[in-house]
Amino acid sequence: MTESTTVQILLWAVLPYVTIAVFAVGMIWRYRYDKFGWTTRSSQLYERNLIRIASPLFHIGILAVVIGHVIGLVIPEQWTGWAPEAAYHAMAVVLGVIAGVCTLTGIVLLIYRRRTVGPVFSATTKNDKFMYVFLVAAICLGLVTTFYGSGIFGPAYNYRDTVAVWFRSIFYLNPQIQDMAESPASYQVHAIAGMLLFIIWPFTRLVHAFSAPLGYVFRPYVVYRDRGPHDPGSRPERRGWERVGR
Amino acid sequence: MSTTADPDVAGDFLVRAARFFTPGDVSPDLRTVTRSGGRDGDVFYRDRWSHDKVVRSTHGVNCTGSCSWKVYVKDGIITWETQQTDYPSIGPDSPEYEPRGCPRGAAFSWYTYSPTRVRYPYIRGVLLEAYRAAKAEHPDPVAAWAAVVGDEQTRRTYQRARGKGGLVRASWDEVSEIVAAAHVHTIKEYGPDRVFGFSPIPAMSMASHAAGSRFISLMGGAMLSFYDWYCDLPVASPQVFGDQTDVPESADWWNASYLIMWGANVPQTRTPDAHFMAEARYRGQKVVTVSPDYADNTKFADEWLAPHPGTDGALGMAMGHVVLKEFFVDRQVPRFVDYVKKYSDLPFLVSLKEKDGAWVPDKFVTSHDLGDDAEGAQFKTVMVDSATGRPHVPNGSLGFRFTDSGMGKWNLDLDGVDPALSLYGAANTDTLEVLLPRFDSDQEHNEGGGIHRRGVPAGRVATRDGERLVTTVYDLMLAQYGVGRDGLPGEWPTGYDDPAPYTPAWQEGITGVPADLVERIGREFAQNAEDSGGRSMIVLGAGTNHWFHSDTIYRTFLALITLTGCQGVNGGGWAHYVGQEKCRPVTGWANLAFGLDWHRPPRQMIGTAFWYVQTDQWRYDAMGADVLASPLGDGRFAGRSMIDTVAQSARSGWMPSFPSLNRNPLTIADEAAAAGVAAPEYIKQQLLSGDLKFAIEDPDAPENWPRVLTIWRANLLGSSSKGNEYFLKHLLGTDHAVRAEETPEDLRPEDVDWREDAPVGKLDLLVSLDFRMTSTGLFGDILLPAATWYEKHDLSSTDMHPFVHAFTPAIDPPWETRSDYDIFQALAQKVSTLAAGHLDTRTDVMSIPLLHDTPDEMALPGGVVRDWKKGEVDLVPGVTAPKFITVERDYTALGAKMSALGPLLDTVGTVTKGVAVQTAPEVEVIARTNGVIPDGPAAGRPALVTAQQACEAILTLSGTTNGRVAVAGFRNLEERTGQRLADLAEDHEGKRITFPDTQARPVPVITSPEWSGSEHGGRRYTAFTINVERLKPWHTLTGRQHLFLDHDWMTEIGEQLPTFRPPLNMHRIFGDQGTGQGKEVTVRYLTPHSKWSIHSEYQDNLFMLSLSRGGPEIWMSPVDADAIGVKDNEWIEAYNRNGVVVARAIVSHRMPAGTVYMYHAKDRTVDVPKAELSGLRGGIHNSLTRLMIKPTHVVGGYAQLSFFMNYLGPTGNQRDEVTVIRRRSQDVEY
Repeated sequence: MTESTTVQILLWAVLPYVTIAVFAVGMIWRYRYDKFGWTTRSSQLYERNLIRIASPLFHIGILAVVIGHVIGLVIPEQWTGWAPEAAYHAMAVVLGVIAGVCTLTGIVLLIYRRRTVGPVFSATTKNDKFMYVFLVAAICLGLVTTFYGSGIFGPAYNYRDTVAVWFRSIFYLNPQIQDMAESPASYQVHAIAGMLLFIIWPFTRLVHAFSAPLGYVFRPYVVYRDRGPHDPGSRPERRGWERVGR
Repeated sequence: MSTTADPDVAGDFLVRAARFFTPGDVSPDLRTVTRSGGRDGDVFYRDRWSHDKVVRSTHGVNCTGSCSWKVYVKDGIITWETQQTDYPSIGPDSPEYEPRGCPRGAAFSWYTYSPTRVRYPYIRGVLLEAYRAAKAEHPDPVAAWAAVVGDEQTRRTYQRARGKGGLVRASWDEVSEIVAAAHVHTIKEYGPDRVFGFSPIPAMSMASHAAGSRFISLMGGAMLSFYDWYCDLPVASPQVFGDQTDVPESADWWNASYLIMWGANVPQTRTPDAHFMAEARYRGQKVVTVSPDYADNTKFADEWLAPHPGTDGALGMAMGHVVLKEFFVDRQVPRFVDYVKKYSDLPFLVSLKEKDGAWVPDKFVTSHDLGDDAEGAQFKTVMVDSATGRPHVPNGSLGFRFTDSGMGKWNLDLDGVDPALSLYGAANTDTLEVLLPRFDSDQEHNEGGGIHRRGVPAGRVATRDGERLVTTVYDLMLAQYGVGRDGLPGEWPTGYDDPAPYTPAWQEGITGVPADLVERIGREFAQNAEDSGGRSMIVLGAGTNHWFHSDTIYRTFLALITLTGCQGVNGGGWAHYVGQEKCRPVTGWANLAFGLDWHRPPRQMIGTAFWYVQTDQWRYDAMGADVLASPLGDGRFAGRSMIDTVAQSARSGWMPSFPSLNRNPLTIADEAAAAGVAAPEYIKQQLLSGDLKFAIEDPDAPENWPRVLTIWRANLLGSSSKGNEYFLKHLLGTDHAVRAEETPEDLRPEDVDWREDAPVGKLDLLVSLDFRMTSTGLFGDILLPAATWYEKHDLSSTDMHPFVHAFTPAIDPPWETRSDYDIFQALAQKVSTLAAGHLDTRTDVMSIPLLHDTPDEMALPGGVVRDWKKGEVDLVPGVTAPKFITVERDYTALGAKMSALGPLLDTVGTVTKGVAVQTAPEVEVIARTNGVIPDGPAAGRPALVTAQQACEAILTLSGTTNGRVAVAGFRNLEERTGQRLADLAEDHEGKRITFPDTQARPVPVITSPEWSGSEHGGRRYTAFTINVERLKPWHTLTGRQHLFLDHDWMTEIGEQLPTFRPPLNMHRIFGDQGTGQGKEVTVRYLTPHSKWSIHSEYQDNLFMLSLSRGGPEIWMSPVDADAIGVKDNEWIEAYNRNGVVVARAIVSHRMPAGTVYMYHAKDRTVDVPKAELSGLRGGIHNSLTRLMIKPTHVVGGYAQLSFFMNYLGPTGNQRDEVTVIRRRSQDVEY
């Protein structure tokens, strides 16, 4: 094993934990202090035609991308050893490209809409514009990486031997720095972009990903909440306003 | 319900499958889940809707809404407002009034803490420096002010600074002192009639209006009218009804079964009331819109008629042709015939006069003509009794109204006589050819038109001047409308398809509306009226009213509703909605506002003539009066300019004219006293000798300028100032973009002196009170910070609903703001203090015009005009000239009088529209409610120190809000009419609506003789039901609705009968107004009311700016935009002789080609760049308009054609204007 340089340590051991820490603490902080800002700030009211196509395209695409990442990074290669490498690879590339293109088309349309439809543009904050840079960078770099590693334009690269191992190693608290440091530059850049995206995540409207209304499908449509154990009135008791006659 | 029928099988499956994993208990039917806890978020919502207080208030923005709102205060801050929902029910079978309110009103609370809020008193820096310097030299404030305005260079320095910033904060003490000193100095030096106040629409906040108006009036200053100035006054209403305007409340639209919206965009401009129209459609109401553009209301319409702008009169004439032909001639509808015989002048006799070998209509035949010398005989009109065929003098005409012998006979009871509607086919009649003017042809050289020949049956009547040929108004109407009958001479249309006046085919060539459509709508309108008993309604407004010839347009509409018997019927008639005109407790308001409790009469000035003269627009008005004359006229206007007609009106006492005379009225009174002659006689001698002149005969002389003007509750210079650039140039003396040339020498006035150098900067001081910054504030010298509608007590009412309700302060006025009421109380105190030694007690002699609803209206028998100045008649004050009335004013008691109710209400009582009430009991009630003043000049008088006390007095003195007053008024009217009336209010005789009542909930008013309709028994209010049901006459010559007008000047301009006059031909009158450079397009320029503002209010409001494009914008058609290469949202420049406007183009298919819209009241506070053409910032919508006076609007002293403030006067019309538009550089500079 070669000795890791300071930069390698910073990038592939420190940055991931910083990312996880900022993301986790940031989400908790946001949830506690900005519950009413926990929103997509939907612009559907301002424009309907483009968003009807672009939004599902992007969101379905990005979900597929997420699943692809989970399969590729989380599941060790050995577990899928039963499948022929070429078939697995072809499948990953084809589905990855479809998902990637959907995502990219979706986001391009959404950004086009944001810029050209006056009311939507007016409702776009600096924070949104900042966030779009990171989101689009991560998506584009991801696509580049997919093409690069696919073997279509050159030698294929099996990231499951390196990048995925590094990814899992972070969660074992034993980061395999060299696995990542030796992988191609495109994977490295994509990984950095991804980490940066997660760092800004809690501070942008991306938080809405964690409030996707999945439960709606499975629950009755009327929810009653009882007042709990205390007496009538949901307000906590305050000094000077304590109940009398108990 | 069967659960097995639930279609959502998949959904049920998912919920059922997941229920074991779902926290909480899922109910067996899978519809609900019950969870424990998780209610921490409740606190937020409970806090959000917990407030310090919720207060009832409203908005005084002249939108007619008068919507009651809940204003919420949290931690001492106004947070927002929501609609009140507690309007009393209007009974079963009708939709209710609530919800009322629109997005504009819901955005109001933004202003409270907005950047546009005026928080402190401001004064122009250069003026303040000059005043302080003068005061260092002259410690007496009045002397200091005299020094400031006495130095021409100082005066011009601060005048030139107007509109250019440099406003600095000053203390209340200092600005009050300056304002008071300016008033005292002006009254002393030039006279009280050089002091003016402008504040419109009392109904939108009565106490605030009354406070300032009382301040001005008690000083002897003149209040400027607004209804005619805003061009909201339909002059046809005084002409036809003898009433300022009276209309149905919006709930009565529900009762209509046929509704035409004609130039009134109900959903856009009557937003809280529009639901009645939408709901009535579900009841089967047919809705027709008439609008040149695809207006918002067209979406609701079953049919859309899109005439060319300003041609509505042609449409109205053609519909009238159809109605007369099919419902009066081909077939007689008994209801229509009965109605017009009883309630219109159609059966009355008109004499005929020979002209050019044929005959023309002359005057109404009167009892005097028939040899009757009794009192009032010259004003008793005559009809023919069909039973005897002999002339009959029915009750109800003006001759019965003010005479002793007319007591009990001023009514519409025909006493069993059946009047002959027509003389056609009657015994001993001839047929004659009559000449009638038409204005659709012969327009090449002037507006005068041509002649058409028609025929009428004519009878002979022996008069004191020999035998005269007469016919009826009905016969003249058929001749005018071109509805022929066999055997009558003249040229007649052969049918609807003959393009001769006034057939449907004829109008198609003018309006562009298909003939068959007009024919069908006209027929349906009348047929519906026949079938429903008069429930055909025309909702009309600014779209058809703001034209130069709007009175002719309206008369064609009113003819339709009168002929079909719709007026005075619930669900029928005219429904004219413009401003928030109906101040329901009118008597109380008027007595407070004009100080009638201390001095009578007040000075009141016609706004339009005032601005026309004082902004020197007359100097640019090359359109002489004779341009309008009928080809059948007698040349009365030959060689006369418009201002000549205004001057004649002033010296004849027809219309008020302030400044009146070319000397201080206080000085004149002193001179008369010194000469030992009564003031009227002294003035008469001086006028005849030429030593004294009317100020209007030399309006540019410095002694005849207005000197001090106070504006409150109004934005003159950002909203109503038609001819805005002329205001800036001549009245204010600052930068302007006037491009017009002055009138060439040969077209200048005869009776009015022309000074070579037009004055620049007439006003010494412009004071404005407002809570937000507007153009008026920007151009004013002193800007006083006012309380908003959420910070003061006041009263509101409207035409649209029958309630009065209150303004209540949600918070105290913040920063250094004060309510209008408190500001004027303080100013009056200050004037009192400074008046000591300068004014003290003086005698003031006022020139007061002949007033409507008084015996004055019998000054001109037959409407025959004679001018004392031309030697045609003697100068008799009060008959051929104004009345000269003296009043003693103790200026040191001004403050005391302001804040106490004066003694005239104990002794003289009140008079409203000719109905007198003794109000001593009311004064007693007010004294006990408000308390009395302990000492000083008003010791023992009821207090009016606070706005609440003023509101209480207004409510107590008015019949609509005090049953005793209503009943007493009706009893007074019963004596005169001999008809039963008091029962309309008797059930409420003991009811008195108090101010706290109006704060608790909107309160429906009591039926009162102050208005012409009845709410008795919970019915919906509509105009003139008392006239129709109780036979109370209209306040006109015949006592009926007038289709014929015989005043000399009406005859001269050819408008005796309803007719069509096209919009003024500006191109011919004023020439080409382009620059000749680049691509230009000349278009009609209209300034209708906006969807995103109410006048200039809300157009600067952040919420409304977000909903609309915002800033100055001009709507144009794609065709016009293409012609100059403009794309949507590009910057354009619009210009004509009056000024320049920079705006963004909104290119829309909604607009017809050849017409552009710039929404009314685009103030210069939002996004206004510099114009290329003038190099100046600006231009507001009124930079392109200017005033044009119609001579028939200044007539007076004759029956319904007599002055009363806001009842009759020249209109500030602006719709006839055209503008040139070009694309400008897209780089705009601010």
